[in-house]
Amino acid sequence: MKRRDPWRIGGAVFLAGLTIFALLPMAWMLITSLKTQFAALQYPPQWVPKNPTLEQYTLLLSPGNPVGREFLRYLFNSIWVSFASTVLGIVVAVPAAYAFSRFRFPGRNLLFYSVLLRNMFPAVVFLMPLFIMMRWLGLVNTQASLILTYLTFGLPLSIWLLKGFYDNIPVQLEQAARIDGASRFQAFILIVMPLSSPGIIATAIYSFIMAWNEYVYALTFINNAERLTLPVGLQRFFTEYATNWPGLMAASFIMSVPVVALFLVLQKYFVRALTEGAVKS
Amino acid sequence: MTIAHSPSAPAMPPRRREGLLRRIVRHRADYLYVAPALLVMLLVIAYPIYDTIYLSFFNTPPNLALEDKIFIGLGNYQRILGLDSFHEATWNTLVWTVFSTLFAFVLGFGAALALNREFRGRGIMRGILLIPYVISAVAASYIWRWLYHSDFGVIGAISVAIGLTEKPINFLDSTDVVMASLIVVNVWKEFPFAMIMMLAGLQTVPDQLLRAAQVDGAGPWHRFWHITVPHLKGVTLVTVLLLLVANLNSFTIPWIMTGGGPAGASEIWITHIYQLAFGRIRFGLASAYSVILFIVMMGMGYFYVRALTRGDAK
Repeated sequence: MKRRDPWRIGGAVFLAGLTIFALLPMAWMLITSLKTQFAALQYPPQWVPKNPTLEQYTLLLSPGNPVGREFLRYLFNSIWVSFASTVLGIVVAVPAAYAFSRFRFPGRNLLFYSVLLRNMFPAVVFLMPLFIMMRWLGLVNTQASLILTYLTFGLPLSIWLLKGFYDNIPVQLEQAARIDGASRFQAFILIVMPLSSPGIIATAIYSFIMAWNEYVYALTFINNAERLTLPVGLQRFFTEYATNWPGLMAASFIMSVPVVALFLVLQKYFVRALTEGAVKS
Repeated sequence: MTIAHSPSAPAMPPRRREGLLRRIVRHRADYLYVAPALLVMLLVIAYPIYDTIYLSFFNTPPNLALEDKIFIGLGNYQRILGLDSFHEATWNTLVWTVFSTLFAFVLGFGAALALNREFRGRGIMRGILLIPYVISAVAASYIWRWLYHSDFGVIGAISVAIGLTEKPINFLDSTDVVMASLIVVNVWKEFPFAMIMMLAGLQTVPDQLLRAAQVDGAGPWHRFWHITVPHLKGVTLVTVLLLLVANLNSFTIPWIMTGGGPAGASEIWITHIYQLAFGRIRFGLASAYSVILFIVMMGMGYFYVRALTRGDAK
């Protein structure tokens, strides 16, 4: 009987269709990246590349030629900016989340909701004043401007996520440590930090992916080709010549690899980071 | 905040409410923990909001010095509300936001329902379906531009191969279909978000309740409608709100794929503001535009916080 359940069959068909919809664009990116420019610009297209080649990848990843040098610089810039903003963001968010979870100081709720409301603000509202401010601080065209911006815009979500994790750690553990003679700070470092490391990992992945993918601030703040991050670099790079589609697809693929890999390895944490707070059981 | 009066000590006379200042002083060390976060946020969030509102009352010269600006009160607002391009962009924004949210939610919820039971490869399936959400919007935009390519695009080629159309469709250069084409990309990018949220919501629906209903003879549709759906109200509200906000704010996909074109057919508020600010360097006008957007967002923000704190407010 179970096998004939029309709901299940419907669900399976729907899932199959959705998977094709989700995967086809990425499959085509990969296929195109393995073609020569000549093979990519054919009609009807070669569904399977006749002479697959890795030349786009070797071109992009070898520092010996100007194309590769430029691409690797963008890649390195992206890694640096994402890494720095993630680490700084965690350093700032951890104590704040802990305080919001544990302490009952006046104004706590007000502060917390104003932190949350940041999720509502459109990036563009901040773009002009931040641009003016960065000019005034002399930070336009530096990666510090991006690190500062990403760090801040990651904060509300990081604090929110981490607070959820701290709420789940029983206060009694800290109280026991305090009774045994630990200071509040020691209790925090020795008891709370190790227990909340999954939360910190989840939050860090989330911030890293957000920073890695960010486009509009990087587009606005950085003009200097030396300092561009990958998302903007890609665009400038490929419109200078007639669009090299296989190259662009190979670059998109390389850009997607780190985030997809991080995500697949740490999927559990990532999913938790996304849904934390929205669902209360 | 009245947890201090625990029920275990009901005999204690209620203490007089401590003065606010005194409580602040007593808790002064607590503020040290939040100070760094608040400081950065004040600098990068509070000040810019103030500055945007301030600039929105000025007519600014089209350069970046911003020194010879002239106070014009609500002039910028009046100008924007009268612009034809504003009306067109508003309509496009509405279409873009509503349809993206609707389709992303429906696809995501469907996927969540289909994934909400044990079968082999479920984890892998979920992982695969989440990939579009994880990759960068920039990469996604380029991939879809290539799929949509008017001469060599694979979608056009497929639709010709299966006899759907005579020749490849011009997805991005035709004012009639450009918006629909962009919405497809956006839905592709964000349905996984709805999926993962709704899946988390579905997992909170108590199993015993569903089984009890089954024993009582309720069919799958009844169980879904009378047990599952009421349980998902809260998650649905949060998910839809977050989708609406994300769509109202989306910039990368329309900007990279069409830049608002052709002839403004895919211009939405955000791309329009960006064009005004950094294309034509009209910061005053663009600020007023941002404030309008900001007001709409704050309205949604109110519902968002309310949805999130439901049950928290004791």
